[in-house]
This record gives sequence, C-alpha cells and structure tokens, in this order.
Amino acid sequence: MKFAYYPGCSAQSTCKELNASLLVVAEKLGLELTEYASASCTGSREIRAVRPELFLALNARIMAMAERDNLPLMTVCNTCTLNFLDTQKRLEEDPEAKDRVNEVLKAEGLRYRGKCRVTHFLWMLLDDIGAERLRHMVVRPLKGLKLAAFYGCHIVRPPAHFQFFDSRNARSIETINSILGCESIDYSGRTECCGFHTAAANEKVAIKLTGRHIKSAKDGGAQAMVTPCPLCHTVLDTFQREMEREVKQKLNVPVLHLPQLVGLALGLAPEQLQLDRHMVPVALPL
Amino acid sequence: MATLTQQLDRASARYLGQVEMHDSNEDRLNRLKEGDFITARICRLDPSIDKAPYFETYRVPYVKWMRVLDVLIHISEGLCVEYAHRWYCGVKKCGTCAVRVNGRETLSCWEPAQPDMVIEPLRHLPVVRDLIVDREPYERKVMELGPLLMRTQPYPGLPEYITDREMRAASYAMDCINCMACYSACPVLDLGTETNFSGPAPLVQLAQVALDPRDGLDRLSLIEHTASISECVSCYRCEEVCPAEIPIVSRVIEPLKALAFAISPANKKHQAAFLEIVRDRGRIDPSALVLKTQGLRALLSPVRALRLWMKGKISPSKTFLGWTIPGVEQVRRLFSAVKGA
Repeated sequence: MKFAYYPGCSAQSTCKELNASLLVVAEKLGLELTEYASASCTGSREIRAVRPELFLALNARIMAMAERDNLPLMTVCNTCTLNFLDTQKRLEEDPEAKDRVNEVLKAEGLRYRGKCRVTHFLWMLLDDIGAERLRHMVVRPLKGLKLAAFYGCHIVRPPAHFQFFDSRNARSIETINSILGCESIDYSGRTECCGFHTAAANEKVAIKLTGRHIKSAKDGGAQAMVTPCPLCHTVLDTFQREMEREVKQKLNVPVLHLPQLVGLALGLAPEQLQLDRHMVPVALPL
Repeated sequence: MATLTQQLDRASARYLGQVEMHDSNEDRLNRLKEGDFITARICRLDPSIDKAPYFETYRVPYVKWMRVLDVLIHISEGLCVEYAHRWYCGVKKCGTCAVRVNGRETLSCWEPAQPDMVIEPLRHLPVVRDLIVDREPYERKVMELGPLLMRTQPYPGLPEYITDREMRAASYAMDCINCMACYSACPVLDLGTETNFSGPAPLVQLAQVALDPRDGLDRLSLIEHTASISECVSCYRCEEVCPAEIPIVSRVIEPLKALAFAISPANKKHQAAFLEIVRDRGRIDPSALVLKTQGLRALLSPVRALRLWMKGKISPSKTFLGWTIPGVEQVRRLFSAVKGA
C-alpha cells in the first residue's frame, strides 16, 4: 500500500515521537510512504483565517504533489486533515479560485486537479488495512488497558465534512481500541476541544477547558488517553501539570499518540515508539 | 459529476459511529411508529422556590410526525400544566424554541421526537423557569458590539445597486434566527466570567454588518477587545448545532479575524508571526511562534521551558539558527505570487 505522507509541523517539532513512531509502525504495517521534504505548513487556523487565498494555494500545492505521484495523501494531524478537506471543498465549489490557484502552481510545475484522496492514519487503519488484517497483525493484545479516546475537533466536525448529527457518536478510535485488545471508557471529554488553537497566544483557555476533560477521563477509570492529533497531544501532555493546579487533583494520565498505541500492539518496543519523550511518564499496566 | 464527498464509501472510518447511531434525518424520523411511547425526562426549575434543577419523567404516546415541540406541548397541556417552555412560530423561523435534547442543542419545532429524551434548557443563560432562559446577557453583548451599518460614503438613495457577489461574505450571517443554540454549545463560554469571549451568536450579529461592503466603521477594537475573538478555540461546536446551517467558524469568525488583520496586522501579533515564520522557514517552529506572539512573557516560565527542552520538545539552537525546510524558496514564491488576502 502506497501513500504520500504528510506529517505536518507538530509531528516534526514538539511531537517528534509521533513522526518517529508512525514511521516504524508504517513499516510494520507494510506501508510504502513518500514524503515531500518541501511540503509547507497547511496554514493551521491562522493563515486560513487571515489570508484565505494563500491558504488554498499552500494546501493545493501539497495535494498537487500527491496527485502528480498518483498517491492518496495520509496525514497524522486533525487540523491538517481538515485544512486539506476544506481546500478541496472550496476549490470544488469555486472553479475561479481553482484557476487562480493553478495559475500560481504552474510556475512550480504543479497542477491541482482535485482528485487526491485525503485520509488520516486513523481512517487508513480501518479503510485500507482493514479491521480483519489489523486484528491478525496484533501480536501483543493490550489486555487490561483502560483507554480514554480523545478525538479532537477537526476529525469529527464540522458536519459539512463528516456529516455527524452529533459528533459524540464517533466510534472509530474505540473500534481500533477493541481490535488492539484494550478497553475504551466513556467520558464527557471524548469529542471535546483541547483549546490548542488559542494556546500559542494565551494558554489559559486550553488549560481550563482540557483539565476538565482529563479529569473526567481519570474519574471514569482511564489509565491512559489516546489521541489521533499532535495538537491535542501537546495540550493534554505538556500542560497537564498546570491543569492539575486548575482541577485541584493529581491527574498524571499518560497520553499516547495513536500510532504509538498501534505499535505497542504490533509488538514494537516502547523505545522504538519513543514513549519516553512525553512529559507525563508513560507507565502502562501491560 | 459526483463530488469527492459523494464518491467516498459511506462505510469509511470517517463516518464510523453515525452508521450505527443512524444520524440521518430520515433515520431519526423512523425510530418511532404510531402507538409507541416516548419517555421524556424534562428538566424543571423555578428559581424562586427550587435550589437546584431536577428531572421529571413523562410517557407520551407517539403520533406520526411528532416533533420534540409536540411532546412538550402534550406535557404542558395535560400531564404537567405548570411546565414552562417557549415557542412561537413552530416552523424554524422565530428561534425561540431551542432546547437541549440528549445534550445537543436543537430547535424543538424542527427535531423529530426520539424514543428516549432528556430535555434541558440552553446553557450559559440564566433560567427563568423550566425550559425558558433569559436572553438578556446575549442581548447586552449584541448591544455592546453595535451591529449597525455605518457608511463612509453618503447613501446614494434608491435604487442602490449591489451584487450578490459583493454581499456574499455578509450573507451567511444573515441566515441567523437568534435561537442561541450556538451560544449554548460554545465550550469557551463554560468558563463564565473567566473569559471575555462574546460567544458565537453575538459575532454572527456583528458579521452581518461588519462584512457588508457598504460598512465603513473601524471595528478592530470591537472584534479584538469587546468580543475577544482570539479566544475562539475553532472547535466547530457552533456549526454543528446551528439549525440555520451557518458555517459560523469559517464564514463568520474567520472573516472577522481577517477583517481585524486587514485593519491592523500589528494588532494580530499571533497571525502576523505565524505568516512570517511559514514564509521564512516553510514550516512552523513552535518556540519561535510563542516567542514572537507572547514576547518576554514566554520567558516567565523557565522551568517549563527547561523541561520541554530536556524532552526534546523544543530546540532553541534550531530556533535561533533559523532552520528552513528544503525547497523553502518554493513556499516563499507562493507567498509573493498570491496577492492580497
């Protein structure tokens, strides 16, 4: 299985362990990944808001590279995924904008056609590998592990892309958890917001909101959390000390990246998955 | 031609959950048949008597096409005559009947009744009684934002020619029916007095005039300070519940941020820094972003920075030596080739 792989900024800076674990897990899963060294940032929430045309061009450029190689584009970040999907939708609805973007891309020898399938590692596991094959690949079932899935916003909302009447209905991570042999707990923060996109300017909102979600996961019996998004991970993991002060309770809930969890079940060593790079020490009852 | 979304297999993991939970309107309509009973747990509160809200459970016989509103009417006209709820038009126009059904904000006049329902009042607004909330806090915020068209050009008189294209940006916000569903769903408003964020609904009112091409008032301070727009976490909860299907984040909040940025990039330090870093390096360097946005304040937590550094989460040497992605010239060319916004 071949994919164009787009790690995004976070997986190459604050969450390097995500990129590292994805690469070893991909090898184990038999994925052939093509990375584009010159792929830029997708614009996160910032460029998207203040320079929408540039935002479209940045995303179309990356998708055009994948289209040129005839590969589906796989991400590991919720916000990047939504940015690609939004660009596709906007350029599909507005052919004039598509022409303008292609005019700019022409100088780089690229053309955006709008035919690229965008997928996230989470969806790829079930759509491309498939539940059955993944189950057969599990060599170390994560028996006895109670996990809280933290989806993050941009992989379940807005409804224009994901069509959930109520995004709390999302089940994909829990489905993977059960394939890997661990138990998922239900708690109030599952599909709530981590507040990352206000954190660079002021982490107050993120700490106050996300502290409650981790608390609800802990109170629900979670031994660890798992998230498909490096941005959520950054808030859940690096701000946890500050959150403990906020909720007046010791939290100490380790937060895993989804590829790390899959890697553990596939028999990879914690060192290969760089579990030691987290701020909250990862001690799992396995 | 089928759109990309339509080509996707509905069984994709992207939609997992909604397949089993039957999310579509048709599925929700078909959950009950005539003769079935609906179990409705309704939230009750009379602030003059009760210390805390409590729940009462009623069983209501299902009648074909029954909506949540019909269930509430059945209860208030027979089973519990003192039960208070507000509605007026019954056809998704007046925006007075929004409630929370099983934790999700919805118009009771437009939502098919479900077999089991917990019906609660909207959040973030004081309860007057039972399902009726006081809209005063919202109205006060709207007044503060002064959503009135301020022309810089003299009014040309009728007919005033304006095209749909010119009005498109403001048109999305004009679908608002003031139902307060988004105001209740917004997680930032959970912080109460600890946030200055106005919430989505008042911003929608502001966008109706601020994005109008005829408007000429400098609304920078209103957007940035009065509404504290930078505290929006972009979680899309508002878009999810909006019965008018307004893309509140992408067509209201983001264009308002763009407007504030256009008036004064210096005032949107975070966005300006983000653009600069991506242009210079091709990718975001989180330490550089935090340093540029927060300035010296970022250095106030040296212990934290040291811990992050030791875990390899930040690399100051890289930040200060000005690394770039390979082929950053291509990104820079893109920046200069795309003109304007």
